[in-house]
Amino acid sequence: MRGRTGRPLRSRLFHAPLARLLLRRLATTVVLLFGVTVLTFTLIQLVPGDSMTASLSETALNDPSVVAAYRAKWGLDEPLITQYAIYVGNLLQGDLGVSRQTSRSVLGDLMTYVPATLEIAIPAMVLSVVLGTGIGLYAALRHGRRGDHVVRVGSLLGLSTPPFWLALVALYVFFYLLGVAPSGGRLSSWITPPPRVTGMITVDALLAGEWMIWWDAVQHLVLPVAVLTCLTVAALVRFVRSAMLEVLDQDYVRAARAKGLPTFTVVRRHVLRAGLVPVITVSGLAFASLLSGTVLVEQIFSWPGVGQYAFRAASGLDLPAVLGVSLFVAVVYTLVNLMVDLLYGVIDPRIRLS
Amino acid sequence: MAAVMTAMTAVVALSACTASGGGGGGGGNSDDDGNGDGDTPAGGTLTVSTSFVINSIDPGQVYEATGALAVHAMYETLVTFSGSDVSDPQPLLAESWEANDDATEFTFRLNDDAVFSDGNPVTAADVVFSINRLGNLKGSPSVTVEGLSAASPEEGVVVVSSEQPNPNVPTILAMPAAGVLNSEVAAENGATDSEDAAAEDTATPFLDQTSAGSGPYVLDSFDPASEIVLAANESYWGDAPDFDRIVIKNVEAQNQKLAIERSSGAEIVLDLSGRLLDGLDDSLQTSGALDTFYFVTLHQDPDVSEVSSNPDFVKALRASMDYAGIAALFGDDARAAAGLVPPAFPGALPEDETKAQDLDAAADHLAASGIDDPSISLMYPAITYRGVDLETIATKIQNDAGEAGITIELDPQPIAAFLDAQSAGRVEFRFSPQSLNYPVASSLVNNFAPGQPSALRSGWSEELASAEMIAAGEAVYEALDPAAQDAAMQEWQRLIEAESPLIPLAYNSGVVVATPDLTNVEYSPAGWQVDLRTVGRS
Repeated sequence: MRGRTGRPLRSRLFHAPLARLLLRRLATTVVLLFGVTVLTFTLIQLVPGDSMTASLSETALNDPSVVAAYRAKWGLDEPLITQYAIYVGNLLQGDLGVSRQTSRSVLGDLMTYVPATLEIAIPAMVLSVVLGTGIGLYAALRHGRRGDHVVRVGSLLGLSTPPFWLALVALYVFFYLLGVAPSGGRLSSWITPPPRVTGMITVDALLAGEWMIWWDAVQHLVLPVAVLTCLTVAALVRFVRSAMLEVLDQDYVRAARAKGLPTFTVVRRHVLRAGLVPVITVSGLAFASLLSGTVLVEQIFSWPGVGQYAFRAASGLDLPAVLGVSLFVAVVYTLVNLMVDLLYGVIDPRIRLS
Repeated sequence: MAAVMTAMTAVVALSACTASGGGGGGGGNSDDDGNGDGDTPAGGTLTVSTSFVINSIDPGQVYEATGALAVHAMYETLVTFSGSDVSDPQPLLAESWEANDDATEFTFRLNDDAVFSDGNPVTAADVVFSINRLGNLKGSPSVTVEGLSAASPEEGVVVVSSEQPNPNVPTILAMPAAGVLNSEVAAENGATDSEDAAAEDTATPFLDQTSAGSGPYVLDSFDPASEIVLAANESYWGDAPDFDRIVIKNVEAQNQKLAIERSSGAEIVLDLSGRLLDGLDDSLQTSGALDTFYFVTLHQDPDVSEVSSNPDFVKALRASMDYAGIAALFGDDARAAAGLVPPAFPGALPEDETKAQDLDAAADHLAASGIDDPSISLMYPAITYRGVDLETIATKIQNDAGEAGITIELDPQPIAAFLDAQSAGRVEFRFSPQSLNYPVASSLVNNFAPGQPSALRSGWSEELASAEMIAAGEAVYEALDPAAQDAAMQEWQRLIEAESPLIPLAYNSGVVVATPDLTNVEYSPAGWQVDLRTVGRS
């Protein structure tokens, strides 16, 4: 069936709500980001400690002219509301300010550190989704049997394991005892990084045709990615298992089985699609969490990602950097949620129509 | 197809070499890296792992350990120190120097051969610019050159004047912060040595990305979160450095131990001390010096605390500490404190004056204080310093005081909050580590004598100190001969012990651990830890 414009009616029905959804999300994002700036700005004023003490020497602190110059330079001599207004004004022009610790633009810092985090978060997420779905589905299909019990115990162990502990053990076993993995960092010391294009060394090495650098970078990815994957898989497995169990208990699945369809066909055509909706929700949140909260794993593997940057910024009361990271996290969560909503529509036509 | 085959061969070659090299992360030796694409220069790479404490690598702003380590390799000073000896300055940019009789004027004659990495000669104007800029920036390291000014009466000669007699001026000018900048390059990028440099100088972002010194290494890249990469200075005017590349990596202390034990060579780690040194492979080289002291201090203003300002309470607390037990928590090499000056420096008190716990004396002093069931809050930075969690030490202090009937509540704070509270000067009782601003014992008098910055943070003004205490500090300043100054420092410390609110607890070492193939890896208490300029391969 075709509408007046000649485009397929189904396509129009899908795109109009999609545009509305995007617009609504965009508006929500703006409000959310505004809220994040207000909240972070307020909270950082309440933290004991003054960024000036963290930045200036004692000699300088005792010199009123230096203190006045510092306060003027960073706008600290203005009332708080004015400081906030200046910040938001700059923000609207794409200026996140200058980090007081690195003396570089916060945007530049984020462009440096975010790709490093993406480089471990993306493979960890892909592996987690593949393994989590597979293992969770396996456990659901083997419900109540030995395989199911093993998976449940394994996922419980994974959830109970502190990330830093797992990272330390992984380093000890695979680097120190077995010598099959590097100790940390993104590249071996004696290797010069490839020209920066994306900031992700594996990608940049490929673009430069530097296969040895690529291979070295991949080796350095293995342990942090494996640790992050273990932690995320453990959570995903439990969600997938329970979601699949629910679907497996539905009448239409029973009917499909009763008709004698092979298990593989039943799973692929009837179970997976319906069971994936809650899985996507959890995966989205897990991905956002990987992008914003891997500070301990980054610390242990000497991985210069956004988590370490956030930690340094918070420790040094570096307000522009703290605000920059907060905005980044907010944007990540918003975008991931938007993608999750869109994926709902792709997977489940009922959600798309509603 | 040929390209694919070549790439696959390279991948397999690197993989094999990585497996044999201890996992790839531990090596750092160009000889076994299998890198055939010319990325690694012939001299190879030296890997230095340390837990980063750094804000900037602009010499005028450098104050933290990691920055000093890197800056010392890129920027040269008028004089320097060799190895671990910090008592005898050696020529560097200055080929000779002399002082006037009252140690207020020092004349340095520059080496004509010295050139910056861009090939331009190091001139007296560059030296004057760098020293005056350091002072006028009023950054953390500026305190070392307070009261000093530089001028050049003729080309090739620099005269540094001190407002007070100060025989230690050459030592001060050996510090990385006094590194000489190429003033032309620096000025083009916002540097100034004018009196308003603190507000007007904008060169730090530039100098954090580009070096402008005359040292054997130049800056290749700097990321305060992960690594500093230095490259050999191809125009270096002295002996060429042994390595073509130095990578200073930000690595947690515990991981440094794993890394150095698996290393295949050319690697140094800087944060293994205390218990982290236990069980280290015998083939590794270690070098250290007791150059840090840990102390508590009690505020002397009754408005801040009636308890901490009570002189008898201070004495009770001093007597209650188990100094040997506290030192043991830092590891085998640590020592119980005798005075403020750590043993690495001339002027330290002899070991037989080491303090010991005396609970009977503590009880007597507590009774004399007139305070029943005293309770006090101990603030300290919640950090691990040189491999030791300060929480552990604070808990021991709490327990020792508890044995004498003193209740201590622990108040750990994030480092920024601790520094803020410390600067505000209203903390009744605090605990922290302390190093010297420059490797001369008398630098502590500038900081801890009554009325000086650190003493004032505890409310210890000159009015509260005895005339004897004030005179002892002045005696240190007046002693121009090193031996006389050391004796005066010892006398000053004994009075500190008798009447100050400062209680030194223990001394701990900075330690360098290196692979056996390296040479000249002595720990230096001068601030740069290890002289990367001279580290070589045997």
